[in-house]
Amino acid sequence: MSTLSRRQTLASMLGGTALLAMARTTKAASKTLNVLSHNVHRTVLTTGAAGDLTDTWRKSNDAEISWTTFDSNPLQDRLFREASLNQTEFDVGYLIDNRPTSQIAKLFEPLGPYQAKAPIEAFEDIAPGLVSAFTVDGNLIAIPVRHATQALFYNEALLEEKGIKTPPTTIEELVDQAKQLTFTSKAGTPVVGMVLASDLAVFPVMFARAFGGDFITKDFRLVPDTGAMEKALGVLKDMFDAGALPRSYATTKNDDQVTWLQQGRAAFTVLPFARFAQVNNKDQSAYPGRIKAVEFPISSALKGQVAMAAVVESWGMVIPANARNKDFSWSYIQAMSSKAVTTGAARNGNGPVRVSTYADPTFAASQPLATLEAQVLSRARPAFPAFPEGVRAQAILLEEVQLAVLGRKPVKDAVAAIRDRVRPLLPS
Amino acid sequence: MCGNRILIGLGKSAAVALILAWSLFPIAFVVLSSFKPGRDIFAVPPRFLFDPTVQHYLALATTWGGFFQGLYNSLIITAGATVLAVTVSVMAGYIYSRHRGALMTGSVVFLIVVRLIPPIVVTLPLFPILNWLRLNDTHAALILLYATFFVSLGTLLMRTFIDQVPRELDEAALIDGAGRVKILTGVIVPLVAPGMLAVAVFVVVYAWNEFLFAFIFTATKAKTAPLVISEMIGSIDGVDWGVLFAASTVQLVPVLVFVALMHRYLIAGLTAGATKG
Repeated sequence: MSTLSRRQTLASMLGGTALLAMARTTKAASKTLNVLSHNVHRTVLTTGAAGDLTDTWRKSNDAEISWTTFDSNPLQDRLFREASLNQTEFDVGYLIDNRPTSQIAKLFEPLGPYQAKAPIEAFEDIAPGLVSAFTVDGNLIAIPVRHATQALFYNEALLEEKGIKTPPTTIEELVDQAKQLTFTSKAGTPVVGMVLASDLAVFPVMFARAFGGDFITKDFRLVPDTGAMEKALGVLKDMFDAGALPRSYATTKNDDQVTWLQQGRAAFTVLPFARFAQVNNKDQSAYPGRIKAVEFPISSALKGQVAMAAVVESWGMVIPANARNKDFSWSYIQAMSSKAVTTGAARNGNGPVRVSTYADPTFAASQPLATLEAQVLSRARPAFPAFPEGVRAQAILLEEVQLAVLGRKPVKDAVAAIRDRVRPLLPS
Repeated sequence: MCGNRILIGLGKSAAVALILAWSLFPIAFVVLSSFKPGRDIFAVPPRFLFDPTVQHYLALATTWGGFFQGLYNSLIITAGATVLAVTVSVMAGYIYSRHRGALMTGSVVFLIVVRLIPPIVVTLPLFPILNWLRLNDTHAALILLYATFFVSLGTLLMRTFIDQVPRELDEAALIDGAGRVKILTGVIVPLVAPGMLAVAVFVVVYAWNEFLFAFIFTATKAKTAPLVISEMIGSIDGVDWGVLFAASTVQLVPVLVFVALMHRYLIAGLTAGATKG
C-alpha cells in the first residue's frame, strides 16, 4: 500500500496554501465603514423581502460596510473594550438598552450635536420610550434601531390535537393548557407544554409582571410585590414538577426555544414578535404557518384592570468616542434611521422603532402581527433599567429562579434571596 | 483460562467501541446534519434515513462569504504559528539537550510554569498592549501568541527527541569543521524530523481551532474560521443549524486530513521518552 512521504505531504500543503493565496480576491472601495453589531442587524439591512437597504448609502458615499458580528454579550464586551482604547477601527457600534450607565455613556459620542447639524428624518416618529432608554445624564448616546418585544407563541396544530380551540387569555389558562399539552403527539414526538430559556431574565420578569409584580422597576424599586414574584416562581416550579417545562430546563437556551417550537416538541414559548417568520420558515419548521402568537396573558385577578407590560429590549446605534471619522459614522446612522430604511428593515424581519411603520401598508401586509405588536409595544418596558451592576443582578435573579424551579430551594427563600443579594448592587 | 482471555478481549473491545462512539458521535452528527434538510436536523424521533441535500453548503457560500476568508486567515495563522513554534522549539530543545546547569534547570521549570497559566489571564492585559503596537487584527499577533503558548511544550518534546541523538555525531561534525548551526541543520534536524512533525501536529490542531485569542485580538482582517462560526450562532435571530453544521464540516476536514496523515508522528511524540534506550 503506497503512503505519502513527508516531502509529498509538505509539498501538497504549501501548494494548497499558494493556490488559496492566488485565489484570494480583494474588494475595491474608496472607504470602508467598520460596523460592530449582532448578525441580526446585518441581515435585516441586507437580506430579505426588501433587499439590500444599505445599497443607496454605499453608492452615494462610495463606501463598503465591513461587518463584525458577535452574539449579544460578547458584542457588548467587545464594543466597550474597543471604545476604551486610544483609537478604534470601528466606526459604528450597536448597544443594548440595558447597558448604558453613566460610565458606559462616556465611551460614546453624544449625538445631540450631530442631530442638530444633520437631523434624522422625522425623529419624533421614533418611539419616545426607546429614545429615553438611550438618553443618559441628559445626552442622547444612541439612535434606536431595533426593538424585540416579547409575545406568547403557540403551536396551533398541537392545540387542535388536544382539542384546545383558543390560546390562553390569562396566565392561569396558560399553565393549565401547558400541562394538558405535555403529551406524545400523533407524530410520535414527546411534547412539553412550554419551553423557556433559563439564562434570560426576560421570562421570570414576564411571569412576575403577569401577576402585577416586577424585578426592578424604572425607579429602582427591587421586587416591589414579593407576593407576585412568589406566585410567578411558584407557577414555573409547578409547571416543571408537572413535566410542562423540559427536564433540561437548567440548560435550555434561546435557540432551543425556536428549535423545539419548530419541531413540535413544545406547545408554547415566549419569543420576540420578530421571530414569527423564522418559526414558520418552511425550510426549518415542521409546522410552517401553524405557529401563531398572542399577547402574553395577565393573571385573571388583574385582567381588565391592569395592562400586561411585556418585556421589550431595544438596540441603538452608537459612535465610539475614539472613532476616526465620526461624521462618516453619523451619515450611516442617519441613513439607516430614515423612514424608508426602517420600513424596509421591518419587512426584512426587524422590530421597527418608528410608530409610523406599523401604519405602513407594505409592512402590515407582510407582517400579520403588526397591529398586535404595535399594541403590545405601547405598554412594553425593559426587563430592568441600566445600572453598573445590572449584569450581576440579572445573574443572581437567574440563579435563584433556577434553584426555585428545580426544587432546590423553597420559592419564598429564593425570592428573599433575590432581594437580599441584589439590594446591595442597586445604585444608591 | 482461555475463557477469561476471551472475556477480557471482549471487554477491551467493548470499552474501545464505547470510547470511539462517544468521541465520534458528535462529529458524525455534525457531518450528517450538514446534509439533512433543515427541518429534519433536530426532529424527534430522529430521522436516520433522509434525502441528502447540499443546500446548506450553497447557503454557506452565498450568505457567509466571510467564512472562506476566515478559513484563509486560519490557514495563514496556523501555518505561521507552526513554522515559528517548531523552529524555536528545535533550537531551544537542542540547547537544553546538549547543555546542563542550574540556569538551564531553572528555565525548564519556568517553561512548565508558563504552561500552567490560563490564557484568559493574559488576554485582557495584552489587548491594549497589542493595540498600541498596532498588532490588533493582524495575522502576526495570533501567530506570535499561538507560537508562544506552544514553544514550552515543543521545546520539552524536542529535547527528548534530541537526547536520543548520540553526542558523538555532534563531536564528529565538529571535528569535520562544522559550526553549531551546521550541526543543528545538517545533523540533528534530519534525525529528529519525526519529533518536529509531532510538535507541528500539536500546534496545528490547537491553532486551527483556537477561539479565545482570535475573539479578543481580531476584528475583520485577521478573523479566523472559528470566530465566523461563532457569529453564526445568534441569540436574537436564531441559528441556521444546517449552515452552521456545513461550516463546521468544512472547517473540520483540513485538520482531520492532516492529523490522519501525521498520526504516526503524533503517537511518537506522545510516547517520546517513555523508554530509555
